Amino acid sequence: MTSPGLAVENLSLRLGACRLRNVTLDVGAGEILVILGPNGAGKSVTLETIAGFHRPDAGRILIRGRDVTGVPPERRNVGFLFQNFGLFPHLTVAENVAFGLRSRRAPIVSGHRSTPSSDVAELLAQFGIAHLAKRHPHALSPGEKQRVAFARALATNPDLFLFDEPFSALDAPTRERLRNELHAFLRRTRKPAIFVTHDHTDAEALADKILVMNQGEVIQCGTASDIFRTPANAFVAEFVGIENILAGQITDIPGASLGVAVAGKLLCAPANEIAECDRKDVQVCIRADEVRLYSATAPRVTSLGATNRLDGLIVATSRLGALSKVELDCGFPLHAYVMTRQVQEMKLVPRSRIEVEIAVDSIHLLPH
Amino acid sequence: MLDVRQALALSLEAAFLTTVIAALAGVPLAYLLARISFPGKAVIAAIIDIPLAVPHTIVGIALLMVFGREGILGKPADALLGLKFWGTIAGVVVGMLFVAAPYTVNAARIGFEAVDPRLEKVARTLGMGPWGTLLYVTLPLSWRGIMTGVTLTYARSISEFGAVVILVYYPMTAPVQVYDLFLRFGLRDAAAVAVLLLIVSLALFILLRYVASGRVHTGGGR
Repeated sequence: MTSPGLAVENLSLRLGACRLRNVTLDVGAGEILVILGPNGAGKSVTLETIAGFHRPDAGRILIRGRDVTGVPPERRNVGFLFQNFGLFPHLTVAENVAFGLRSRRAPIVSGHRSTPSSDVAELLAQFGIAHLAKRHPHALSPGEKQRVAFARALATNPDLFLFDEPFSALDAPTRERLRNELHAFLRRTRKPAIFVTHDHTDAEALADKILVMNQGEVIQCGTASDIFRTPANAFVAEFVGIENILAGQITDIPGASLGVAVAGKLLCAPANEIAECDRKDVQVCIRADEVRLYSATAPRVTSLGATNRLDGLIVATSRLGALSKVELDCGFPLHAYVMTRQVQEMKLVPRSRIEVEIAVDSIHLLPH
Repeated sequence: MLDVRQALALSLEAAFLTTVIAALAGVPLAYLLARISFPGKAVIAAIIDIPLAVPHTIVGIALLMVFGREGILGKPADALLGLKFWGTIAGVVVGMLFVAAPYTVNAARIGFEAVDPRLEKVARTLGMGPWGTLLYVTLPLSWRGIMTGVTLTYARSISEFGAVVILVYYPMTAPVQVYDLFLRFGLRDAAAVAVLLLIVSLALFILLRYVASGRVHTGGGR
């Protein structure tokens, strides 16, 4: 299999308490793969093994079709960025950017600069950081640090970019801004990239493909929509924040689609869901942001496609910034997200009754 | 005053040799202790710290049993290499090394531990080999810790009395000379040499600090 990007085949590794089991993944040119998983899932170890810091017990790593499994990190030609971007604190911005160029010109004689300064100047200009050339990293903002890190990594013209939770120390607005910059940077360079995170927002915003890991194993790989709407099992469902995971039984409903009973209430599910659930007992996944609420007074939006309609009793509401969570009792507990302003507009107060709508397509079944 | 000058010169020379040996052996050991975990690491760290916890006269007696005429190392060293640890500067260095080397190892270890290993990883992915990474990333960033260790080791070596006086009374180092003068001629004579030793030690200490911080500055500004 020759891929223009990265191919990892059946990677296994034991490293202290951490184990990787049969990890297989591939990233095409210009593609961004996000590895998502809880702490200790083996995400960083996977990334570091691809970069060449751990020798796998089994499996192969191919970068642009070249088998690099036994090649040391300095000859793998990958760009590696981690939390706070890993700038060398004892070097200036220009020296950081020149580092990769310098290290390719062995031997380096101390005090003798063999770096073609024009390359560095060009990179600094390209990333709009020429005015920072003589500063040290501690005097830079997070955004400036990221650009220096991009320039430094790009200087060696890597075949692959690896990001290990680069934003984990940042506040939300900065995070969003830097994420957008990073996305634009990767789109521009058209190089394959792997981005490790445990943050759903990072994953949804950046990923062409998401790979969910837990305990050193690949649990699911797919598009953001696959992962977030049709998780492969209860672990992924819980990890990607599906708020409603309910026990149900497959029931025959005469007519087109598939029926599932949850606490005595009948819900219609998409017929194609049955293929994955050959047993009667299932788990019913419903994203809270796909539960719609209608107050008696509000004008009704005609929904497209088939829907389930239920009566709900509001148990509690809680404000989470722009969104609010509404806890409902529909015969079974159900959580819904609404815009916070709608809580007042729709008079969503505890103990009032409300109409609940769930599109058939929003229901995903997992084997119990 | 010839004796005094000789004693002072011996102290400076032996302390210098001690510091060089401590740095050559202690800095790599500190790097291993900071970066690699292996079975028995805690034991090695504890052995390194023993001289800090034991009275130096006891260290001297222990060293005498190992490096003395009939010692398990002293005897074969003399027989095979002609290297004597009694009545020679080699004995002084052994005494100084044992009590002063922990400062090099511990300070350098703290210096290395303060360097984020991920910076070393980034250097590797940027095309730098392990030695280049050590030279251009790890050492400049841990330089302050290493120089602190070197300075403390030199200072501790100059000031060592207990271990040295038991292992090697002659040739006399400056602290032993002071003690000897005090026993033989009283406070006045001893005090004169003591002040001289104090001035020389302080001057050296300040010079070393200056050199250490100067290197840090150029390291940061390069």
